[in-house]
Amino acid sequence: MKRRTRIGGDGGTQGFEENTLALLDTSGFNASKVSHHLDDDRLAFLEAVRTTSLITDKGNAPTRKMLEAIFHILIDADSLDLVIQSYKLLVELDKRFPQLYLSEGEQSDSSSPKVSTFIMVEEAWSPFTFTMDGHDKKWDATNHSRSLVDSSGFHTLIKEIADVSVEMKSEAVDIGFMKKMLLLQYLVTVLEGDFWPRNSTYEGRISLFHCDGFNETMVDAYVLAENLDWTILRESLLSMLLGSRKITYKGLIKSSLSAMGNLSQSTVSSEEDSCSDKPQGEELHEVDRVIALALPEVEKSTCNVLKKFIIMIMELDSSKRTADQHGLTTRADGVRTPAVEIILDELINDGDVLSSFLKVFDPKWRLEIIVQYFQKYITKNSVRTRSSASAINTENFDGLLKYLSNSKRTKSIIKKITTEAIQLLLAYGFQAYVMLLHNESEGFSDMMEDVKSNSAVAVCEDLISAFTCLRREDPNTGILCCGKQALITAAATISNLRSI
Amino acid sequence: MAEACGPLDFEFEEPIQFSPPPPKRRKKLIGLDDLLHDIQKEQKRLDEKKIKQKKFRQAFDAYDDVVDAEEALLSECVDKCEKEIHQINGDEQMTYWGIQVFGDQEKLPLLEHPELKSTGLMQLFMDKKISPLLELNFEKDEDFLEGLLADGWLLHLMRASGCVEESIATWTFNLMLYSSNMRLMQASCDFWSAIFSIRDKQSDTCNIKIDWLPRYSDLKRALQTYGFSFDLFSKASANIVMVSADSVIAGPPQNIQCWIKFVGFWCQSRDADIIASTQEVQELLVIIISLFLDRQLVGLAVILQESLHSLLNSFKEEEWPNCCDNVAKSVASRLPCNINCLRVVESIGGVDERSKQLRSAVALHFLAAILKKKASNAAMILRSLTAMNVKDKNCDLFQMYICLSLAENWISFNTLSKDKAAIHELWVTCLRNCSSGISITDLRSYASNVRSKASYLLQSSASK
Repeated sequence: MKRRTRIGGDGGTQGFEENTLALLDTSGFNASKVSHHLDDDRLAFLEAVRTTSLITDKGNAPTRKMLEAIFHILIDADSLDLVIQSYKLLVELDKRFPQLYLSEGEQSDSSSPKVSTFIMVEEAWSPFTFTMDGHDKKWDATNHSRSLVDSSGFHTLIKEIADVSVEMKSEAVDIGFMKKMLLLQYLVTVLEGDFWPRNSTYEGRISLFHCDGFNETMVDAYVLAENLDWTILRESLLSMLLGSRKITYKGLIKSSLSAMGNLSQSTVSSEEDSCSDKPQGEELHEVDRVIALALPEVEKSTCNVLKKFIIMIMELDSSKRTADQHGLTTRADGVRTPAVEIILDELINDGDVLSSFLKVFDPKWRLEIIVQYFQKYITKNSVRTRSSASAINTENFDGLLKYLSNSKRTKSIIKKITTEAIQLLLAYGFQAYVMLLHNESEGFSDMMEDVKSNSAVAVCEDLISAFTCLRREDPNTGILCCGKQALITAAATISNLRSI
Repeated sequence: MAEACGPLDFEFEEPIQFSPPPPKRRKKLIGLDDLLHDIQKEQKRLDEKKIKQKKFRQAFDAYDDVVDAEEALLSECVDKCEKEIHQINGDEQMTYWGIQVFGDQEKLPLLEHPELKSTGLMQLFMDKKISPLLELNFEKDEDFLEGLLADGWLLHLMRASGCVEESIATWTFNLMLYSSNMRLMQASCDFWSAIFSIRDKQSDTCNIKIDWLPRYSDLKRALQTYGFSFDLFSKASANIVMVSADSVIAGPPQNIQCWIKFVGFWCQSRDADIIASTQEVQELLVIIISLFLDRQLVGLAVILQESLHSLLNSFKEEEWPNCCDNVAKSVASRLPCNINCLRVVESIGGVDERSKQLRSAVALHFLAAILKKKASNAAMILRSLTAMNVKDKNCDLFQMYICLSLAENWISFNTLSKDKAAIHELWVTCLRNCSSGISITDLRSYASNVRSKASYLLQSSASK
């Protein structure tokens, strides 16, 4: 890891900071009396930062004080315009001046093209403040501001979003809810910006270890490097957030899941509400209208952001697993139940969460979780030999479908899982499979080989026969809508592929 | 104020004339002039006191220390007065931006698609292998189709069959723009977005044919139904209704967000050449820019920005300079030249070259329109801006404020102009005029706005 200072001399930026912050300086004014003034000043300030830092060619990164001022506006402002402008500015600044980035073009060594180091900008400002049991005292010293978010604040934020979105009536929605969702979006953006470069550096090193590790001299060099590498991830904001003792990790994941589920459904319900309300109060007050217009889009993106947050945790888990295997973790890392386990528990216990989760979640992980869900209920043969034709590998989706295309096995499994749940799992699993088949989601090439290993036609046929078995064994429960949808898609795929 | 000066009284030989007993109850609100008058009187009185105090001090040297403390108190009073004046001055309300872009909605068309029954998709339902499982009730197949769309299956079906039939295309397009069912609306928007992106990266192996593509006229019709006032553009800009901050008006339906998003990916698709002419894309760009001015759409700023960005990038390299100029011209001539034009300029906020060029051009054209000069003569515009005498009582400082902001945008994002140095020099002169021409105690409305704007710009142009 390298550290870098972004700003050369202090002299130039000092003036820039003072000059811009002066726009905000309303100390002589009574804020409550002239709130529109305050808003104007804040807008002018945001615009000035935008202009000087982003739009100008050789723009300087805004200083810590300025970033904090922008963040403060996001938290504090009452006008939607300001909230959205400050959110946009923060996200754009984060993209343009990341706190952490991978160095490119420094790979002088041709034998190790995969290794990329990331560069950390030392004085970068972060909206988070948490210490990992006194791990990094510097955080405390520099980020003492009142407005920053700590781990419990983050959890509360997610909880509040989950609560509001479940009891939401279209008219009761206020600006506070919008603000919370945008704040969450920004915070996850920051977590991501911090996590992914670290993770890819870590993965790069690990895979390098596997390729070159047998070269004796290199091992020594890399053992040292590797020890460092797990620290890279351990020091990530995400890991510090999850490791914090102020929150219960399980609770955080559960809240995230329920917030995700509620958000994905609330657009539907809020729309129905507003439809029925229309005759009486066709003309909402403008402020309500503004929020009502903006809400669906923000809810959708917040739902996406929560998805990304959960995926990030699962990636961290799997990196941790490899670190464990290499003996790189220490007691300081603590023990954490993998997120997948917690999610599975939730899905098994709560049917509502199950369907909303399956509908929205990312295909790669959706498939993975569905497979693991079934794993829990499939009685394993004492010894499974891969070579024998009779044994079916149920650790991937097509194997699973094959396994379920058998009346006997289906009979035993519907004693453990409800037919409805099985249908949901199979249908949305199939959808994820089709999505991966067409490579809709980018960047998950490792999964692709698994998906493509069997021909699509076989998978479609297995799906149909699995559903046929299900119907035969449990004639009382009809095929659910999602099941029918999956079947039609399967039939269409078969007829199309056959015709080629 | 009286309490602060109170302690002084006992030290004078003759009792000081106190300000007259409190005036009778005023019926009207205190006006700016009254306050000003009071303050001036107060200050006069304080000055007199100071003079008296000096005399007094000469007489009683022994009391020096006490007096010093009191002097500090007094100067504090004066400072407070000055601050108050500022506050009074600052209370001048900056006009709100915002125009009424959307009037009353027309009735959204009824969505009936009898031709859906004959699609190839429906034939699939009869597939002998699965039909016993489906138990479809054929009266409800449109509901079933809606389910396929809402849960994201339709796209996979289309991909499997390799073709989007006309009936499906128009059906989803109409759902997106006219349905009041949020779920279907969003799902069809996602559907179209996916179809376009598949078509963009399609190869020989994965081919998807589409029988119908929406045209500009289809988009325009939808906007008309939402109540978009196209006559906004034919009206003289002075007649455009300005919206006050808290009025109640009917606005566009929720579908407007899909409309905005659709414009974004529609114009970027590889079919863009076929479906819209350059002229039409310019028109759309102007429409999107005018949407920024509707306060009801403030919450959609993010997607508006994205659409604006894709529209800008859909122009070909060789046609861009010309289009940029056309768009800027038509924006400046159609939208009002008041506080709104600042909002327009600021909303073109992309960081790419084209956004900057458009921003600069729009600012220039607005400035030219306000100053009634030709946009081609840059030096002339700046000279006439410099010639505005800010000391003159009749000088419209609000207009000056707008001009300064416009000029700043024009000059700092201008990448095309040749004689940069000369323009810069003129600009600095103009800024100096404003910042030194207006004293800090100037009480005219917007005087402090102009002054602080000018000095801010001056400082930042010096630090560059």
